[in-house]
Amino acid sequence: MSSGTITLTSSDEVDITVDRAVAERSVLIKNMLEDLGDSGEAIPIPNVNEAVLKKVIAWCEQHKNDPASANDDDDNRRKTTDIDEWDQKFMQVDQEMLFEIILAANYLDIKALLDVGCKTVANMIKGKSPEEIRKTFNIQNDFTPEEEDQIRRENEWAEDR
Amino acid sequence: MPPVPHKDDLESTWSFLEAGIESVMLNLDAGIDMKTYMGLYTAVHNFCTSQKAVSSGQGLQAQRGAHLLGEELYKLLGEYLSRHLAEVYKQSQSHTEEGLLGFYIREWYRYTTAAKYVNHLFRYLNRHWVKREIDEGKKNVFDVYTLHLVKWKEDFFENVHEKVMDAVLNLIEKQRNGETIEQSQIKSIVDSFVSLGLDENDSSKSTLDVYRTYFQKPFIAATKTYYENESRQFVAENSVVEYMKKAEARLDEEKSRVGLYLHPDVTKSLTDTCLDVLVTAHSTLLRDEFQILLDNERQEDLARMYRLLSRIKEGLDPLRTTFENHVRRAGLAAVERVASDGDNFEPKLYVDALLQVHTRYQNLVDDAFAGESEFVRSLDNACREFVNRNHICKVSSSKSPELLSKYTDSLLKKGSKSAEESELEEMLLQVMTVFKYIEDKDVFQKFYTKSLAKRLVHTSSVSDDAETSMISKLKEACGYEYTNKLQRMFQDIQISKDLNNNYKDWQDKVLDDDDRKRLADAQFQILGNGFWPLNAPTTPFLAPPEIVKTAERFQKFYFDKHSGRRLSWLWQLCKGEIKANYIKNAKVPYTFQVSTYQMGILLLFNETDTLSYTDIEKATTLAPEILDPNLSILLKAKVLIASPEGAKPEPSTTFTLNYNFKNKKIKVNLNIQIKSEQKVETEDTHKTIEEDRKLLLQSAIVRIMKSRKKMKHVQLVQEVIQQVKSRFPPKIPDIKKNIEALMEKDYIERMDGDEISYIA
Repeated sequence: MSSGTITLTSSDEVDITVDRAVAERSVLIKNMLEDLGDSGEAIPIPNVNEAVLKKVIAWCEQHKNDPASANDDDDNRRKTTDIDEWDQKFMQVDQEMLFEIILAANYLDIKALLDVGCKTVANMIKGKSPEEIRKTFNIQNDFTPEEEDQIRRENEWAEDR
Repeated sequence: MPPVPHKDDLESTWSFLEAGIESVMLNLDAGIDMKTYMGLYTAVHNFCTSQKAVSSGQGLQAQRGAHLLGEELYKLLGEYLSRHLAEVYKQSQSHTEEGLLGFYIREWYRYTTAAKYVNHLFRYLNRHWVKREIDEGKKNVFDVYTLHLVKWKEDFFENVHEKVMDAVLNLIEKQRNGETIEQSQIKSIVDSFVSLGLDENDSSKSTLDVYRTYFQKPFIAATKTYYENESRQFVAENSVVEYMKKAEARLDEEKSRVGLYLHPDVTKSLTDTCLDVLVTAHSTLLRDEFQILLDNERQEDLARMYRLLSRIKEGLDPLRTTFENHVRRAGLAAVERVASDGDNFEPKLYVDALLQVHTRYQNLVDDAFAGESEFVRSLDNACREFVNRNHICKVSSSKSPELLSKYTDSLLKKGSKSAEESELEEMLLQVMTVFKYIEDKDVFQKFYTKSLAKRLVHTSSVSDDAETSMISKLKEACGYEYTNKLQRMFQDIQISKDLNNNYKDWQDKVLDDDDRKRLADAQFQILGNGFWPLNAPTTPFLAPPEIVKTAERFQKFYFDKHSGRRLSWLWQLCKGEIKANYIKNAKVPYTFQVSTYQMGILLLFNETDTLSYTDIEKATTLAPEILDPNLSILLKAKVLIASPEGAKPEPSTTFTLNYNFKNKKIKVNLNIQIKSEQKVETEDTHKTIEEDRKLLLQSAIVRIMKSRKKMKHVQLVQEVIQQVKSRFPPKIPDIKKNIEALMEKDYIERMDGDEISYIA
């Protein structure tokens, strides 16, 4: 595989140059370069804007030397909500950016980043009451009291008493 | 390239995707740009993540997670592939044979390359919708790449595989017929068939099912037919030898065919099929040729036959029997040739004949039959047969060990064409080769003991080393007990050497000069009574006074050392040298090498020149059967002259000393063994063997009964056979007879129910 740099074009038409090895943390980009070869052409990333793309690239830079984890047997990693220190700091962004990063990771097929994002969200939910969760994510309660009752009864077994 | 369609619109999304896939499928050579690639990927992504999905899949089944979109795309993609393949099939119909193979391979390559691209473009679908379906256990949903393979198999392969295989088989047949073909075509077809084998339970794994069913099966069937026909025709027109070459070449060829362009999975069934058709089917024909090849010593062809038949089940068994019989006949014939000139052949001739046959077939087994153990066994069986039961043995079953022993004696005796040391060792090894097959090992032992005794007593061994080497070989083959006596005899001789030295020292001290002058210079050998196969003299003998004095002196010395022992003189084995000072015409006086008996006769002539037969008989007390032949020797050598002239030794003859004795040599050996003596000795040895066997059987029976106390008769007989068979093959009636004998002697008694018990 040739090294060197490649250019990504964000949805808002900004060109960003990165190391190929960094860009290839994205399976999408990796596959495409494999299929088409590196023509020197800029790669359009139609679903991600400059701000988010830069953030994603920053993460990829940090993790470019991570061993490519075998795909599905990392259940253990996914089950814990532990996040390494650098990633925790990295994820200290506003909620909107957080969700943008998750969507971008999903689109670009960067599994490890997707996991980190989802874990961050999971940690925001952990230990909170429904009301607190609603507050955190700015969600309107659209259940009727009857519906809420029913759900509570159904999930009684899981309650911590 | 139209812009990326709106994510909620299936119809426009699909038509956008279809155009893209079509260009990947049909026009990949023209390339696609990154924008198109990303556009297609993004279209799939956007469709699968569209809000519609979230709203349409709503409900209270939320615990299963979000509903994932994509089924429609998956279905449409499948339909597209079916349409594409239908077109491919249509085009394929205008091709046949190699053209069809070329077409198949081209389309397969194009299709699978495209599949890889499409799989990447639809990766989002794979990661979410497809994965969910598979996780939930849905059958018939595959990742996009596998979907391509499934479709290829269903919509194209199923329609063309027979025609394709026909073309493949025709191509292989052409190659078998000697034409050059494009092997890579077949290799590609094999690879394609292998790729189409999908594991039902896990589509990420592949199986060889498709390949086995659609390729291997017809291929094996065609192979079978081809070689059935070929071999039938070839055999009809060519010799068996030629056929074997052909078959071997074909087997090699098919083996290399696997490496060239087939899947290794086929190896076993291909080999089995070829062996079945090429070898097993013709095995009778091959085996019938075996005897002919043996007769003509066609080693190379025999090796070829061995190689072929060794590869089929039980292919060699009939050959072993034929081989065994053949070797046995060869051995018998060789022995008969030796015997054809009468009974007076050299033992060497006989042993050489046996060895020659053994060596020839040992080499054949090694070279042609790869030294295979079963053939070695057949060889051993055959050798045992012809060594122990042949024309010469007909007279007496113990003839073989006797002759072998005599041959060994001739090797180890000084004076015979003494071989080099290494050569001798080699010959002793050959003796052991024959010895291994001898059944009557006790007979060999008997003769060998006798001949060793003679070599030791007469100090006529080539070397102590050679003797020791032979004894240790026998010990290795038959155990300590077998060579015990031999070793004791050897020891006695060593001890006697020391004893003679001591005696000399003793004489120096005890004797004065006068004594010494009157004594004969003598060497003595003390031979242990139980170990030596020697008998007391058969005739009385009055030794001459000079000898008697010397003997008495030694006896005094010996009894001083070992009181309570008894010495008996074996005059018949003694010998000496006397000087003939009376013969005047010789510059140096002649020395006669004589036996003690001859010495006794000749020394009488110190007193007078003429003696009558009766005088001699009276003075020596020798029995006529000893006296007469010895006188004959002296007459024949012209040491004595008979009168009347030419008379035989008999009471009326008188003997006069020949003063005009003449001989070319200064040392004249008169101590010649008498022919008739030799023969009697051999017969005696044979006679004692029966007696010895009786004792061996009885001691075996007692030994067994002593340790077992009680035993069934049948078992006892079996065990006795086990114990003695290393010495000789016992006959059951003999064993029974000896059991009876021991009962009479009250060693054992008969109990109820065929049981025998030991009487302590």
